[in-house]
Amino acid sequence: MAYQTFNRKKFDALKQPMFFGENVNVSRYDVQKHAAFENLIEKQLSFFWRPEEVDVSKDRADWQGLSESEKHIFISNLKYQTLLDSMAARSVNAVFLPLVSLPELETWVETWAFSETIHSRSYTHILRNLFTNPGEVFDDIMVNPAILKRAESIAHYFDEVILTSQLLYSQGEGTYEVEGRSIEVSQRKLKERTYLAVCSVNALEAIRFYVSFACSFAFAERGLLEGNAKIIKMIARDEALHLTGTQHILNLWRSGADDPEMAEISLQMHDQGKQIFLDVVEQEKEWADYLFKDGSMIGMNKEIICQYIEYIANQRLSAIGFEPAYDVMRNPLPWMNGWLVSDNVQVAPQESEITSYLVGAIDSEVSHEDFSDIEL
Amino acid sequence: MLAMKEKRPVSSAVIKQGREVKESRDFILDNELDNPQSFELEDTAPDLIASSQLQQNELFLPIENPEAPDDQAQLEFGGLEKPIFAMSVEGIQQALQFHYADNLLESLEAQGVQVPYQCRDGYCGGCRTDLLEGEVAYLQEPMAWINKGEILPCCCVPKTPLKLKIKG
Repeated sequence: MAYQTFNRKKFDALKQPMFFGENVNVSRYDVQKHAAFENLIEKQLSFFWRPEEVDVSKDRADWQGLSESEKHIFISNLKYQTLLDSMAARSVNAVFLPLVSLPELETWVETWAFSETIHSRSYTHILRNLFTNPGEVFDDIMVNPAILKRAESIAHYFDEVILTSQLLYSQGEGTYEVEGRSIEVSQRKLKERTYLAVCSVNALEAIRFYVSFACSFAFAERGLLEGNAKIIKMIARDEALHLTGTQHILNLWRSGADDPEMAEISLQMHDQGKQIFLDVVEQEKEWADYLFKDGSMIGMNKEIICQYIEYIANQRLSAIGFEPAYDVMRNPLPWMNGWLVSDNVQVAPQESEITSYLVGAIDSEVSHEDFSDIEL
Repeated sequence: MLAMKEKRPVSSAVIKQGREVKESRDFILDNELDNPQSFELEDTAPDLIASSQLQQNELFLPIENPEAPDDQAQLEFGGLEKPIFAMSVEGIQQALQFHYADNLLESLEAQGVQVPYQCRDGYCGGCRTDLLEGEVAYLQEPMAWINKGEILPCCCVPKTPLKLKIKG
């Protein structure tokens, strides 16, 4: 059945699975099947920020003082992140929105994608400040083989889901010839491909950005490019939240609390799902190799960053029920945590951001003391 | 301190509201006169949620009756010591205790136990730790996924003596 923007059927929204059930009709949040997604939406909204709030003007002077190898590290990371965030924003919308069947999850996907667009905008903000003509940097992204290779490996999983769902909902089950290759389409195949796509986006949020984050924070530890690091810090905070979202989806499937068929698929495709994660770890190590090809930077080299990737990979594998795959027991970059703590996130030094603060909120708690100076 | 007041597990704000309302009858009576229908809605909400049987975490929040404020809202008993809970961490010989800390993570760190962490705000799950024995109370709803037998030390405090196993 084709996707409907207005599903006229009456059904119990609490009895739908996360994906592949009835298309959402009323976006209602009064009752929820998985309240975790509603909490994520609210948290993401409380994190709202704009790139222009961060002053990056001092970064230009720092940038001009960097060595050539450090410039290569910094600018390659920005290019890579620019492309990844463009894809992340687009893919979660295009892949998941037509399949989702819970209002809170639908809105979470939209909120998630929106925050990725803020990230994309912030890279332009940083580049505009560093270069008189940032166009050259953007133009290089689509011809840089090191970046394209990584982007293609993610896009593959998303495009498979999109093609399968388009064929299934317009033509029905069967085998189709598309652009010279034969593709098998069924409800089961769609679910399997969606499982792999979620594994891929989970690995993207968990691992892919962290080499770049670590480099940005390492510059800032030396007092360089601090405006950029402030922006990256807010991006890192958002990505940690997105990761929690994908971990919830994978764990709900795995635990059988959602769609029983997806629990079966999680078990059946366990090895493939884990392999996606391990491939991402290897690709990130290759990326570190590319970054440090002309020389390392103070406080950071290829070996340390690879150990750090393995360290966070272990944590994030076990978070989705996969066995840890690496031997690293200790955090090789302990100062990274200081940059990833939610409470320290500040836009300008004089205005610290409190995430629990709500604009326009009214304190409705009244205690006896509040009336102590009132006499009747 | 939230942890020591009367606590009751709630799985969502709706249930909390529903129960709270049932608890304080005086409050209901005042309101029923103004708006009798609103409370019928409140009463049906908990059943609706219970039927979906999806309660991942128990959140312990104090139930405050606006008509009878708690005299001991702050956990300061004159002349008495604050509650101290013994804790042990697998692989660490040193005797540990929870004593004067905002959360379990801070308490462990203050005693030299390294726990992995990231956000310290309950949403990243970086500090996920195995709880082998004992019980904890959450001061804020943990947003990250927690498997059975795991806790997030960044947003909980002990309710009993604890036995923990740190991951990694």
